[in-house]
Amino acid sequence: MRMNPAQLSVSTPTDLEIVMTRQFNAPRQDVWRAMTEPELLRRWLFSPEGWKMTDCTMDNRVGGRYRWAWSDASGTEVLIISGVNKEVTPPSRMVHTETMQMPACGGPVGELLATIELTEKDSGTFLKMTLVFDSKQARDGALASGMEQGVNAGYMKLDGIFDASVAR
Amino acid sequence: MVIEKNARLDRAFRALAHPARRAMLKQLASEECNLSALAAPLKMTFPAALKHVRTLERAGLVKRRVHGREHTCRLDPGPLDEAVDWTRKCREVWEANFRRLDDVLAELASERRAKPKA
Repeated sequence: MRMNPAQLSVSTPTDLEIVMTRQFNAPRQDVWRAMTEPELLRRWLFSPEGWKMTDCTMDNRVGGRYRWAWSDASGTEVLIISGVNKEVTPPSRMVHTETMQMPACGGPVGELLATIELTEKDSGTFLKMTLVFDSKQARDGALASGMEQGVNAGYMKLDGIFDASVAR
Repeated sequence: MVIEKNARLDRAFRALAHPARRAMLKQLASEECNLSALAAPLKMTFPAALKHVRTLERAGLVKRRVHGREHTCRLDPGPLDEAVDWTRKCREVWEANFRRLDDVLAELASERRAKPKA
């Protein structure tokens, strides 16, 4: 069925942004459903080892809230991702806020604005997800993705990242 | 512990989030330096430089030895490894998510084939 292995591409066009793109071999309407219907979403959204997704509530209207929560073996919520829909244009565009909380760590650990765009391409669907960070802590996470280039080449490459950010 | 590791990562990222501290790390990447040598290119006072070095120290990125008035600083790249590792894991999570999404989409397609429109 899958003609080409679909490659996830991750880029960081600015210090505050992460852009992920991926091609899917499916009609756009199906991708939209899989991303907005709780019973489909919980089948593919990650569950960290030993945790279970225990809440997947979504109100897919503009101004509607969604809440995803994961619990540990004792049933205690350990991770909550929630937010409000700013734009909902089925089956092509969705903008929502995203706040991540880990109760064991205290308050919210990051906040961002996510834009999901689906376009018809090569008889399938092209997904573009743009994450824009606005809090300081969240920006630190963006900094981490800036280091992605450093993975293979180690510190020499990290040096380059430091150079770029020190240069004025 | 996941939480402890997160706190360590938070400290590392917070430490990296300032251009002066990144400049210090870059300088320390090539050689050990004393505090005045770190402060000079940044046109910083000794106390201001010490404040930044302490932030780097708390993040585990810099080790400091004090001999009288001389503070010798050395880079410890360990937490950077962890930061890079975290980024790779984040990418792996999304790759795995999207592979599962491929499967869900394939099922939707086969359901549709099984139940053709009347």
